[in-house]
Amino acid sequence: MLNRIVSFTALSLALLTSGAGANKLNPDVSLTLDGHYKQNDTALSHREQGFGLGHTELSLSSPIDDLFSGRLTTVFEEHDGESEVLIEEAYLQTNGLPLGLNVRAGRFLSQVGYLNGRHMHEDDFVERPAAYRALLGSHYYDTGLRINALLPTPFYWQIGAEAFNGNQLSEGAEDIGVYTLNTRVGGDFSAAQSWQAGLSYLHNRQISVDEEDHGHDHNLDDEHGHDHGHGASYTGKNLYIADAVWKWSPNGNTREQQFTLSAEYLYADDLNKFATSDDYHEGWYVSGVHQFTPQWSAGIRYGEVDLREAHGDHFHSQRLKETDVMLAWSRSHFSTLRLQYTHQSATGFSNADNTVALQYVVSLGAHGAHGY
Amino acid sequence: MGTDMRYLPLFIAAVLTGLVSLPARADFHVFACEPEWAALARTFMPDAHFTTATSYLQDPHYIEARPSLIAAMSRADIAVCTGASLEAGWLPALLQRAGNTDIQPGQPGLFFASDHAQLFAPHDHVDRSMGDVHPEGNPHVHLSPDQLPNIAKALAERLGAMRPDNSADIFARYIKWRVNWNFHRANWQERAKALQGRSLVIQHTGFSYLLRWLGIGATMDLEPKPGLPPSASHLNQLLADPRLEDAAAILIASHQNQKPAQWLSAQIRKPILVLPGTVTDDSKTDTLAELISEIINRLESAMPEVANGSL
Repeated sequence: MLNRIVSFTALSLALLTSGAGANKLNPDVSLTLDGHYKQNDTALSHREQGFGLGHTELSLSSPIDDLFSGRLTTVFEEHDGESEVLIEEAYLQTNGLPLGLNVRAGRFLSQVGYLNGRHMHEDDFVERPAAYRALLGSHYYDTGLRINALLPTPFYWQIGAEAFNGNQLSEGAEDIGVYTLNTRVGGDFSAAQSWQAGLSYLHNRQISVDEEDHGHDHNLDDEHGHDHGHGASYTGKNLYIADAVWKWSPNGNTREQQFTLSAEYLYADDLNKFATSDDYHEGWYVSGVHQFTPQWSAGIRYGEVDLREAHGDHFHSQRLKETDVMLAWSRSHFSTLRLQYTHQSATGFSNADNTVALQYVVSLGAHGAHGY
Repeated sequence: MGTDMRYLPLFIAAVLTGLVSLPARADFHVFACEPEWAALARTFMPDAHFTTATSYLQDPHYIEARPSLIAAMSRADIAVCTGASLEAGWLPALLQRAGNTDIQPGQPGLFFASDHAQLFAPHDHVDRSMGDVHPEGNPHVHLSPDQLPNIAKALAERLGAMRPDNSADIFARYIKWRVNWNFHRANWQERAKALQGRSLVIQHTGFSYLLRWLGIGATMDLEPKPGLPPSASHLNQLLADPRLEDAAAILIASHQNQKPAQWLSAQIRKPILVLPGTVTDDSKTDTLAELISEIINRLESAMPEVANGSL
């Protein structure tokens, strides 16, 4: 009897003392809330007019053991009253392998380009540039495998390859529908300035040049007002992306002030079996964001995208020019309010418009470290 | 041309020996998250190669996991950091992207100073409405005269274990450092008598360990909550604080914006003290002991009447 009491007390004592430590066995939970009010509908937009919810993310992440870490990110989205739960990330990843290798398997964001591998809540503008919305569905994620290698150079140089199922970009029957190649270099110009540049190639095997056409889908975008699909609306067999980022802060003290200049160029060709060498998608953007106090930032972004919309055996040209101006206030590292004005001028898009948007992005719970 | 050719074998030999001797000279790479740990590790291993992620002009909470740091981390043999969530915004991304097998949580290659210190003000319950509060306690432990010896000892032991061939030298340098530190500490203790009981307005808790040790009150903070920049409403609230009368000066760190302190200084006619929060490149403050001595010098000149009065 006494034995039992003693062991019971010991057990509860052990539980009590391990209370704080046991918590660390639970995964980090982080929730991102993102909502907006948008005055008008705009072309190639993933955000609805009026009040709307953006990218609501629930994320769990944790080391699995000494070799692996894992992460799950589910996204809640709503389109025309229909709720959807999407799995954006569900991957395991190595915590360090010999030869600077890094392997990730499962579902994750492709590392092509500068913006694609980043989480949407880290963005400086309400929406991704038009070229990203058209060619990558804002952000391309899929199920597959990634192998990266950090080369033993004095500066930063990473090379990487990914293989994906491909169905998140465009439907198809291939087992490996998409593969990508990527290289990235970077360094510091001085204590105040850092930079990174990258080249990426995405091969979409599910754009078969001898595939039967699905029919005439005239004005699909126009009828719906905005794009519901999560894949890309405009694809090509080959997609090339060049990106460059330059950041400046006085003395490298990013807390007080930081200026970020980034630019990307995207080019896709081999659009389908009818495409000639003149038929290609092309887009670019340049963005400058100045965080001028710890809590305030202002930015301007200009981008263009030239698209060829397939109509049976021929293409219609579409062109969208977009200018965004934004002002954002962050009370803390975990909350941001953003006011943005977007100006669109277009040919071939009936829903291009100018709009004012107000957005909040907040994160609750654990807040993962951000990349560059 | 012909004369050049004669030196070619010599040149090749020089390059080859250069290549061979290169790893020998800088064969131990130390990645320090903050300059204080680079300074400490350098006293124990002066020949190692050092990369310091931050400087005294930067807020160590808000550094980016930028490409140059990823490259340096991937080459490093040991990373010496503060821990206690100080680097939570960038170190995990750096460790993950560098993928260095030796520098991962739980590996000897990742040294956290706060693991070898007793942190002040740990919290059982933390939520974000409290500001950027670290549940582990105040991480800015590098200015604690009493805690540094323990951290230094643990670091010397760790470095010695990783480089057994050099461990005798490292231990000898640690003993030398310890003697020097004790000598300084006795001096600081003596000087603390004149500073005891005084008070300062601070911005963030970066100097708190040293101020507590010196007996200087530092409860008035320009930050409304830890990690939030000073706001007009908070400064006005602070202005009504009766304890402000007794404050000798406003103490801020070199990396902080001086405007809020200047505003308050103009209102209350008290001087501003801008001090480096960590070691600098200046030879007067490039070790922790020199830095603490310099901070005390500056505190003494900011509180002259008491310093003179005690004579």
